[in-house]
Amino acid sequence: MKHSIILLVLFIGIKLNAQTNEFLVKFKPIVKQQELKLNESFNLFYILKDSTQITKLKFYISAIQLYNDKELVYTEKNSYHLIDASDTNSYFINLKAFPNKAFNNIKFNLGIDSATNAKGALGGALDPTKGMYWAWHSGYINFKLEGISNLCNTRNNGFEFHLGGFSYPNNSLQTIKLDVSNNKAIIINVDVAKFLAEVGLGKTNMIMTPSKTAVELSKQAAGIFSIN
Amino acid sequence: MKKLFVISALIIIVLSFKTIDDLFVVPKNFPKPVYDFSNNPLSADKIALGKALFYDPILSKDNTISCSSCHLSYTAFTHTDHNVSHGIDNRIGVRNAPALMNLAWNKHFMWDGAVHQLDMQALAPISNHDEMDETIENVVSKLQQSNKYKQLFYKAFNDSNATGEHTLKSIAQFMVTLISANSKYDKVIRKETGYSFTENELKGYNLFKQNCASCHTEPLFTNNEFENNGLTTDKFLNDIGRAKISQNPNDSFKFKVPSLRNVELSYPYMHDGRFPNLQMVLFHYTEDIHQNPTLSKQLKKKIVLGEADKNNLIAFLKTLTDEEFLQNPKFQPERY
Repeated sequence: MKHSIILLVLFIGIKLNAQTNEFLVKFKPIVKQQELKLNESFNLFYILKDSTQITKLKFYISAIQLYNDKELVYTEKNSYHLIDASDTNSYFINLKAFPNKAFNNIKFNLGIDSATNAKGALGGALDPTKGMYWAWHSGYINFKLEGISNLCNTRNNGFEFHLGGFSYPNNSLQTIKLDVSNNKAIIINVDVAKFLAEVGLGKTNMIMTPSKTAVELSKQAAGIFSIN
Repeated sequence: MKKLFVISALIIIVLSFKTIDDLFVVPKNFPKPVYDFSNNPLSADKIALGKALFYDPILSKDNTISCSSCHLSYTAFTHTDHNVSHGIDNRIGVRNAPALMNLAWNKHFMWDGAVHQLDMQALAPISNHDEMDETIENVVSKLQQSNKYKQLFYKAFNDSNATGEHTLKSIAQFMVTLISANSKYDKVIRKETGYSFTENELKGYNLFKQNCASCHTEPLFTNNEFENNGLTTDKFLNDIGRAKISQNPNDSFKFKVPSLRNVELSYPYMHDGRFPNLQMVLFHYTEDIHQNPTLSKQLKKKIVLGEADKNNLIAFLKTLTDEEFLQNPKFQPERY
């Protein structure tokens, strides 16, 4: 009896293992259809002949789920990822224990939810040494974009967007849902130039506090994610 | 089967209490703590690491200022006789260093509630330009190079490599152990033998309950809220308090209600340390309330206290001094 139970457990274990896999999701920051290169100038508006470059891009992706229409197919465990343009390895997310099931859309958060924000010190991607935690007003920075553009009338023409805030009324967390057409690896473009073009760098170029503006800009940031 | 389940559930409950019990005893007259110990279970080695960090100037940019520079154990972990906090390079901050005690019961940290969870509190003074002016990234890299800390982190976390998470969690562990609950007031309230209020203290206690307790609520002597207590605005500091964080104009000039435990030693008083003694504090509350749209509703009606009343009230406040807390050798730095 005892042996057969052990065998059964082993069998189920092997069976489960055979049905699961790893699945790759890539977040690919782009500028003008090309993969983003930090510290390299580009022209944001052809007509303005501006010179713009990005020096830093970091953002959190969390709570990744896959759906088949409305049916939940997969939820990633401990789903917190820091995408950092200075480390292109961070673009790749390996979803573990992935089921052999059809799906047609992906859902994830841009940023860190308020329950996680309330938990205190956390490690891994969420370690406060990652430069994505506000000390003067506790909370994670969800999306950080810095650079230089002659469109900005600021010190050294710099722009800095630190978007975050997890409590009412300035909760800036964004949920993004994208249709996926096939079952191969998913590549998600993050069109950084689109964000800068829509923001109006001449007027809006320094946002570093949880605020109404940060919420609006977070919505715009959510709009730059699309399936390749 | 059901019985077995109940028994095992009971065992789990008893075991989980026991780990907190050894290192964190909730005083009889206190409510349940707010701090969630399940995310950061206490251990003697983690507390010891936290204490070492608390007393170490390695947390500051030029290795000159530690937490204990402004939070001295003998004065309830505040900087007695300093109105605002001091930092590296003789820099002067903008707010009064608060007493540190009973932090596991706090819902907010800092005068404006900028920090919502104790683990993350240490980041504020570490990175503040006028205090330690350091980054947590650099603190961790300094700790990773130190043989002393390699050993302490290994003992505490089974990993000699310091991380931001482990650094902050251990500082928080030391801070939650700073419990002050053995003042004369506590012993009287708990009806411990040999303790009773004097006539003056008792009169003071009754006045306290009538005039002060709605904000400075027992047993923690704070309601954990933000209030505008009718101070005129310091034209130099121009500190709007809670509104800076909430961005709500209704929160202008509101500050966190501080606990009054050990208030005898935590002078000077108020968020900017403007009053050097308790007599001036009572003069403010009775004679000098500045009318303002966000003034606390409790202060809209004038508080009337005669000189004898004030003396009795101060006699009561002095019963909140907890000598066992102030002299506790467990809170003193170790010699490594």
